[in-house]
Amino acid sequence: MKNLLPLMLREWLQHRFAWALLVLVPVAVSLLLLSVGSIQLDDEMMAMGPRQLSLMLAVLSMVITATVLLMLLATTSLFIALGSPRRDHGDRSVEFWLSMPSGHAESLLAPMLVHLLLVPAAALVIGYVAAIPVSMVVVGRVTGLGEWFALPWGQILATLAALLLRTLAGLPMAVLWLLPLLLAAMLANALFRRWGLPLLVVVMVLLAQGLERLFGQPVLADTLGALLFNAATSLAGAGGSPGEQGSIPLEALPALPGWALRDFAAAVQRLGQPLLVGALLVSAGFFAALVAWRRRGASVA
Amino acid sequence: MTTAEQQAAPSADTLVSARHLSVRYGRKTAVDDVSFTIPKGRVVGLLGHNGAGKSTLMKALVGLAAPEGELSVLGLHPQRDRVALLQGACYIPDVAILPRWARVDELITLMSRLQPRFSAQRARQLLARTSVGLSDKVKSLSKGMVAQAHLALVASIDARLMILDEPTLGLDVLSRKAFYEMLIDEWCDGERSVLVSTHQVEEVESLLSDVLMLNEGKLVLSISLEEVDRRFVALSHDPAVAEQMAAAHPLLKYRVQGGSAALFDGEPPPHVQALGRRVRPSLVDLFVALTRKPELDRQHF
Repeated sequence: MKNLLPLMLREWLQHRFAWALLVLVPVAVSLLLLSVGSIQLDDEMMAMGPRQLSLMLAVLSMVITATVLLMLLATTSLFIALGSPRRDHGDRSVEFWLSMPSGHAESLLAPMLVHLLLVPAAALVIGYVAAIPVSMVVVGRVTGLGEWFALPWGQILATLAALLLRTLAGLPMAVLWLLPLLLAAMLANALFRRWGLPLLVVVMVLLAQGLERLFGQPVLADTLGALLFNAATSLAGAGGSPGEQGSIPLEALPALPGWALRDFAAAVQRLGQPLLVGALLVSAGFFAALVAWRRRGASVA
Repeated sequence: MTTAEQQAAPSADTLVSARHLSVRYGRKTAVDDVSFTIPKGRVVGLLGHNGAGKSTLMKALVGLAAPEGELSVLGLHPQRDRVALLQGACYIPDVAILPRWARVDELITLMSRLQPRFSAQRARQLLARTSVGLSDKVKSLSKGMVAQAHLALVASIDARLMILDEPTLGLDVLSRKAFYEMLIDEWCDGERSVLVSTHQVEEVESLLSDVLMLNEGKLVLSISLEEVDRRFVALSHDPAVAEQMAAAHPLLKYRVQGGSAALFDGEPPPHVQALGRRVRPSLVDLFVALTRKPELDRQHF
């Protein structure tokens, strides 16, 4: 696995401009629209005092900006990762990569690590940083720039850092829960090219329906649901909603870091389920199949 | 080099040793029970029709196809030790297979990290001899420039064996000449060996020290060019004595400028030699003689 880092560097070299565009364009468009467009708030928000409103707008705009960037980059990266086993076949450069002294397993693993873990993680961090000017524009236009500077930034940044760390720590856990589905999709794409993903979805749906209707066993649907639920709660909500800690932002802020810690602990606790052991065993099987496919495919690439 | 099994035994100077090597794809036998050796310091041409098994044999040599029989390359088992092998043997599978998204300097960066014996400085020196710029994107290069860039990159690996599979396919004559000049000038040093497959037999004949000929997966000739001159005799003769020549059962009867010629495996009887003038048999004639289909012979002669 000593070539893992160079192979990850390849992802950076290949995708860095696309990533930069995916970060810069939405942020620039948001800043432009928020600067020249009108910002409308509902009556409940308008009824808040300027300090409360500024705080709420700042936190909301930062969380929304970071979430949008995360979704954008994570979705793009997800599709890149799913297509990664076959992506070099189009221009036949797979033969160049096969002529390099790197193992099949590390060649498959490197894009997964980058696109499923590093890119979403970087998107979160960059999202929160890029969200600062967005919040400045939003608060500046609604309550005035002075209110933005007067916000309790120490507390806000500490809270956002806690939320960021919570999500970052949850990311590997979410990937672990989703691993059998991700690897199944990668294998399907490798074997059936562009038909792989639709075929996998159809087979899964038919299998789940068949098991439930013919044998009264919703085991597949339940398993898939559990995997998706556990993946989602690995990122947030494993220990309940942060909203339970208080509904007014100013009071809720100090409680959020504690909630993030408890939520993370709850997500870690969920890892002890036998379902994850099964999911990882299935994942190992899919990964071995992918390695075998790459090894065999090398001879007919 | 001979096809004789006993002469396929490896010695200290042997870079490649194959004994009873076969490669099958399902029911199809692509390479059929071939035995040969490649010592150090040789430039070996691998000749064969399309589908003769050349690419499959080369893939087996670099661990990208699963062979049966015994195969040792640089003292390693190609499939099991593929990563280690590709550090000491470099391989150009085909032209125009460099990743189209990459810039040339990015490929140098990647190869510096992936290939322990790669010299970035030497790659830049070799590229300076070509019209390829370091900041050029592969997708902006012509096929000839891509081939030059690829050879410059691969020739910058301090390897002992280079395997080239139709490296100049589709290139114009100037690009082909430049490619082989760089190969001979910059890589061949009397210690390293090259195995090159090509259809442009006439162009590489003067570069080769040995030749391997494959016909429908079988090795029909494994011989040095000196041995070719000793073993095979071509007689240029007047068309009037064609029947007497044919009676001596030559390997091939063919036209040469101003008359006919016959190619014999071994010295023909003195009375036959007296009918013509001895000329040097070309590799192309030898190739045709050893790989033609008998049913075609009857139509032609």
